Amino acid sequence: MEPILQLTNISKRFPGVQALDGVHFDICPGEVHALVGENGAGKSTMIKIISGVHRPDSGEIRIDGQPVEFNNPREATERGIATIYQELSLYPELTVAENIFMGHAPSSQVGPFRKINWGEMFDRAQEILASLNIHDMDVRRKVGSLSVGNRQRVEIAKALSINARILIMDEPTASLTEADVERLFEIVRLLRERGVGIIYISHRLQEVFELGDRVTVLRDGQYIDTKPVSETTEDELISMMVGRTIDNLFPKLPSEVREPVLEVRDLRRRPSVRGVSMQVRAGEIVGLAGLVGSGRSELAQTIFGITPAQSGEIFVNGQKVEIKTPAQAVKLGIAYVPEDRGTQGLIKEMTIRENVSMAVLPELARGGFIDFAREKTLAQEAIQQLNIRATSVQQIVAKLSGGNQQKVVVSKWLASKPRLLIMDEPTRGIDVGAKAEIHRLMSELAVQGIAILMISSELPEILGMSDRILVMREGRLVAEFSRDEATQENIAAAMMSAQMENNHLVMERSAR
Amino acid sequence: MTATTQSASTTAAAGSGVRARLSGFFNQDVVLALLVVTLTIFVWLVNPRFLAQRNVLDMLNNSSYIAVAAIGMTMVIISGNIDISVGSLIGLLATISGQIAIGAQDGGYPLWIAFIVPLFVGALIEAFIGFLVAYLRIPSIVVSLGMFSILKGALILWTNGVWIYNLPDDFMLAQQAPLGVPVPIYFMVILTILAALWMKYSATGRAIYAVGGNREAARLSGISEKATIMKVFIINGVMVGIASILFATQFNAIQSTVPPGLELFIITASVVGGVSILGGTGTVIGSTLGSILLHVIRFGMQFVDVSQYWLQAVQGILILVTVMVDLLRRRRQSYSGRG
Amino acid sequence: MAAVEQQPLQTETFGQRLRAWLTRLVISQEGILLIITIIAMLVLSTQSDRFLTARNLTREAVLLFEVAMMALPMTYIIITGGIDLSVGSIFGMSAIILGFAWQDAGLPLELAIAIGILSGMIAGFVNGLFIVRVGVPPLIMTLATLALYRGMALGISQARSARGFPDWFYEVGRGDFLGLPWQIWILGAAILISAIVLARTSFGRGLYAIGNNELGARFAGIPVDRYKLIIYTFSGFMSGVAAWIFTSRVSTTRSDMGTGIELDVIAAVVLGGTDIFGGSGTIAGTVIGLILIQVLKSGLLLSGVKGDATTVMVGAVLILAILINNLVGRFRS
Repeated sequence: MEPILQLTNISKRFPGVQALDGVHFDICPGEVHALVGENGAGKSTMIKIISGVHRPDSGEIRIDGQPVEFNNPREATERGIATIYQELSLYPELTVAENIFMGHAPSSQVGPFRKINWGEMFDRAQEILASLNIHDMDVRRKVGSLSVGNRQRVEIAKALSINARILIMDEPTASLTEADVERLFEIVRLLRERGVGIIYISHRLQEVFELGDRVTVLRDGQYIDTKPVSETTEDELISMMVGRTIDNLFPKLPSEVREPVLEVRDLRRRPSVRGVSMQVRAGEIVGLAGLVGSGRSELAQTIFGITPAQSGEIFVNGQKVEIKTPAQAVKLGIAYVPEDRGTQGLIKEMTIRENVSMAVLPELARGGFIDFAREKTLAQEAIQQLNIRATSVQQIVAKLSGGNQQKVVVSKWLASKPRLLIMDEPTRGIDVGAKAEIHRLMSELAVQGIAILMISSELPEILGMSDRILVMREGRLVAEFSRDEATQENIAAAMMSAQMENNHLVMERSAR
Repeated sequence: MTATTQSASTTAAAGSGVRARLSGFFNQDVVLALLVVTLTIFVWLVNPRFLAQRNVLDMLNNSSYIAVAAIGMTMVIISGNIDISVGSLIGLLATISGQIAIGAQDGGYPLWIAFIVPLFVGALIEAFIGFLVAYLRIPSIVVSLGMFSILKGALILWTNGVWIYNLPDDFMLAQQAPLGVPVPIYFMVILTILAALWMKYSATGRAIYAVGGNREAARLSGISEKATIMKVFIINGVMVGIASILFATQFNAIQSTVPPGLELFIITASVVGGVSILGGTGTVIGSTLGSILLHVIRFGMQFVDVSQYWLQAVQGILILVTVMVDLLRRRRQSYSGRG
Repeated sequence: MAAVEQQPLQTETFGQRLRAWLTRLVISQEGILLIITIIAMLVLSTQSDRFLTARNLTREAVLLFEVAMMALPMTYIIITGGIDLSVGSIFGMSAIILGFAWQDAGLPLELAIAIGILSGMIAGFVNGLFIVRVGVPPLIMTLATLALYRGMALGISQARSARGFPDWFYEVGRGDFLGLPWQIWILGAAILISAIVLARTSFGRGLYAIGNNELGARFAGIPVDRYKLIIYTFSGFMSGVAAWIFTSRVSTTRSDMGTGIELDVIAAVVLGGTDIFGGSGTIAGTVIGLILIQVLKSGLLLSGVKGDATTVMVGAVLILAILINNLVGRFRS
């Protein structure tokens, strides 16, 4: 069959990362084409290119065999491409019908005013919903009062109201209940019969096998392969998704593992941390793997006191402690290099000097007064020690490159002389050189006896750096591997294959 | 994550029909109306004179210009902004209206000009505020705070605080009472209905909700945020103009200074009427009910013998309570939304 | 890029540094303001020879006292991205409570003064508590308490004023110390302390961090909530102190005291270069802003404009200051 949409050799570069590199993709009418890959594989970039948010640096997009260029999302919409993003983009205070027709309500010009034809709008909204076999939704109801599943149905109806021929669904089941997932699948099948091409992105591989006709795998922005779903297996997909060779970028030094620095027992913080018990020992790097949304960062933030634990125990150096605020965590010798440099890790408008000293101001100050000379020395030492490329300690952090910004974050926390260093995606979005430097530093810190808990979505990084690997899924630790047993395949399998029995277990627990 | 929603949704599925109908019925407007009725009955039980026809009409009459101004304020707040300057603006426009009326008496031009000019001047001044807010991105609180004192000072400069007397009889619009009902009440009722319909059914009305509720999404849907904010302030100016005429024509003299705390009274009416101060929600019917509620409280305080001087404290508490209810409601919503 | 990076850190010559410093000063908000203020003062002194006299200047300083006292904590608050609209109402309420505690409750005047100031602190603390714990936006919270605290002032006093204080009470408002009014000493000390705390302590640094990126500050272990509570309480405290000294100067308490004063306070702070969106600002700037507004006011008064009408100028200056700030901000970046 002739594809409606065809992408050939698409490349896209962002500062510091090659997000897509020569990717192919096509979709035929009446087909569900699944798109899979790890976090950061380039799936989001690709759907943003298809939906006109980004423009590719090179490559060709054809619709019905005609080359096209989208300058903005509107132009893609006009060609019949609709996207349902993870965060739904609805107006809670407006009615279902208004949301469906937002921006293109049936209207007529009356003098200087544009009058919305309400009757027509309600009728047409009702028709669209009926065509999706949705008969239990009042189009006059405010969207804010709907369940998440129903909101999603409104999003789908919105897509149909513009006669979408291609529907992109980004993790549509991420926040749905099982009953809602079933209804969603019915709707997807209905749309497929009607000839809509569906691009389906999901981490849950069993959904791919249940719904998909073909599946395309991306990895590190590279196109790996496209296969009919009937001709592949879950194992094969996983190995295609992760199948990288571990190069020698990460020179992990051997270090002596000593006493436990951090121990948590049955730590809970709803909704994302659901009973975690683990230890991190001095001199050890523990890798924490898991999908986005598995609760890894939330666990780190619970330990660090940003979202304090609701139950469970935390021990630091064998002492039971209460951590309610980050300030308490810092005092206990815990440091957290957060996932999002720009909003969490740095005050970008302030200088390197001010950022480096941020976590140790109480120690730098005498009677509350900051010792500026010591502060300056501290920042200068940081610049030298971590080889930060900057004109002076007075440079505004926003003007540094991503890698150098990350080094500023790291040096801020090193200044606090931590016993436990939690690093959340320590090398995301930074260039290869800076990445190697940060890995070398982590390795050295471990040798010096610091306990390191590293969260990463890059399996090679996890495998290369960790002495021990923990895998998290749906708020709990589901697997542990020693450095020797761990492989990309067994980690990925633990991360992804959500077995139904496990799901039921979680349900029962939280229902109690 | 899935599990919590799961258990919640099974119960919700069973009760959703009933609950939806109930929560649809118990929206802010109905709650407010019930509150007005309950309070009225309470005061009436303490002092039956409260429900004398004259007193009820007086109460509604007094609510009217506040309610009309609160319609404009409600739109401004729904769009995610605020306007502190309305108090001064009403004072200024009332004076302008009175001066023109006196001029008309001396001859030259017809009296209706006194009723038209304040509307235009109001729209013009608010358009200026809207321009600074929408196009130059200055926070509305700062612009309107500045404008508040500019207008207040300008009024004093102009009138030296002298009251305006000897107004022509025809000018006393608010003192007329066709069918026994004072004119301002007609204005309140008709403008509330018109504005409510317009907010609900016109494209611009919906755009106001969109801009205040989800700025980014509004932009992506092709709604012009700037133009919408401009329109909101201009409409507010017209509403304030009408309110100022009702204000100017209620007594035989015009005070020609700014009634202190007037803007706060209007904002309170809007907020108590269910207009979320964070933007994006609310109705003009609610704000009108809010104005009436405030006056029931104000008059009721007299009838149950509580000093008027506590009124402003009650206002403050009313704002706080409504805002906190709104915050809690939002928090619950976003929690269930996250699943 | 490479050349810049390689430049060693300490090789700027003294001349270069001086020039860089001067340029920074002149295009800084404070620099521009200072120049405008000096010009305005010179113009005024040519208009009236009574203006630039020591007597007149101390008189002006006393008039500016209350606004200035409140502008110091307001600078802190606006730096964190907040605002406090209730300062005028706290001012009025503190004065009323002072008068009530002494006249109606019959407490010793010393105790009444303390209670008045304490009530201001509590009022500010309540603002902070709701902002921090409940998450009410500062604008809304202080708008509500603008009404609430003024209402308390009205309700407690029933619009009656307290007067007839003993003589010693008037000393601080009308007396001199070492030849200068008490207000100048108190204000001077307050300015000095506030400036040093903001510029040199970890608390001050924390305020800037909160204003630039609250989440980032929280993640760095800065006690954001405690700092916010402190500044709103400080704001209430300063309003209370100002109310006491103002009462001492005018010898009576009235429930409408300080109505609209928040406008003058915010105008001075914003005029002084503090970013209304938070993140930057200095006490020096605020002080210059205060002086400029006072100079312009007295200029208008000297040219025969009535007292209340000077608000036209304050409002216009507020809007213009932000407009210019916007434009200059675009130019700088």
